[in-house]
Amino acid sequence: MDLQLLGLSFITVFLSELGDKSQVAAIALSGTTKSPKAIFFGTASALVLASLIGVLVGQGVAEILPTQWVKMAAAMGFAIMGTRLLWNSSKPTED
Amino acid sequence: MSVTLISDPVDSSPNQSNSLPVSPNCQEQPLNETTIIDPDRLQVDSSTQPDMVSGAAGTIKIWAIFTSTFFTIFLAEMGDKTQITTLLITAESHNPWVVFLGAGSALITTSLLGVLLGQWLARHIQPQTLERAAGLTLLLISAIIFWEVLH
Repeated sequence: MDLQLLGLSFITVFLSELGDKSQVAAIALSGTTKSPKAIFFGTASALVLASLIGVLVGQGVAEILPTQWVKMAAAMGFAIMGTRLLWNSSKPTED
Repeated sequence: MSVTLISDPVDSSPNQSNSLPVSPNCQEQPLNETTIIDPDRLQVDSSTQPDMVSGAAGTIKIWAIFTSTFFTIFLAEMGDKTQITTLLITAESHNPWVVFLGAGSALITTSLLGVLLGQWLARHIQPQTLERAAGLTLLLISAIIFWEVLH
């Protein structure tokens, strides 16, 4: 068990999801429901299924494309997303 | 623990114990979204399920809430940055199940935090205010997703 990878995946996804629209939706839904358990299980299973699909597609991509291309795409993807997040957080509130 | 609203026209019995005053002719009303809750007239019953719905209709309702939440969140999450992140980490790590374990537990944790926060808000904010805020928030999220799709 690659603990470093486990920790990296956990922290990256945790930070990415914190304040993400699906978490905000879960907060909004659970604040006004009579059945918070149903909201939790619905949200958690939807997110886990979505991440399972991500993992399966990622694994498929890794098997089809050369490793270098995949790493390059991952690096670029993270750079784009990171930059966009920093840009959004430093801009004054718009619209 | 479930909470029921006791409605009675005359509140005549004195408060003899720690329990709230309840007259013998009281009727129970089921709580719904429009019930105005008077804290002095709540009777706490600790023998029923934590969720405030029960019976066959209640079970169907719970499944309806589960299903609608599931599909909404699932569709909102497809193509979301969290999913792309998971995809990219998997692609370059060649260790998909460790990544899935890490990502999955992170998502369950954030879901739990979100639901707990929502419940905390429900205890500290007026129901009408919270409903309005929740409705506006969900509309805003919907607008954001439309905007993302159309750009």
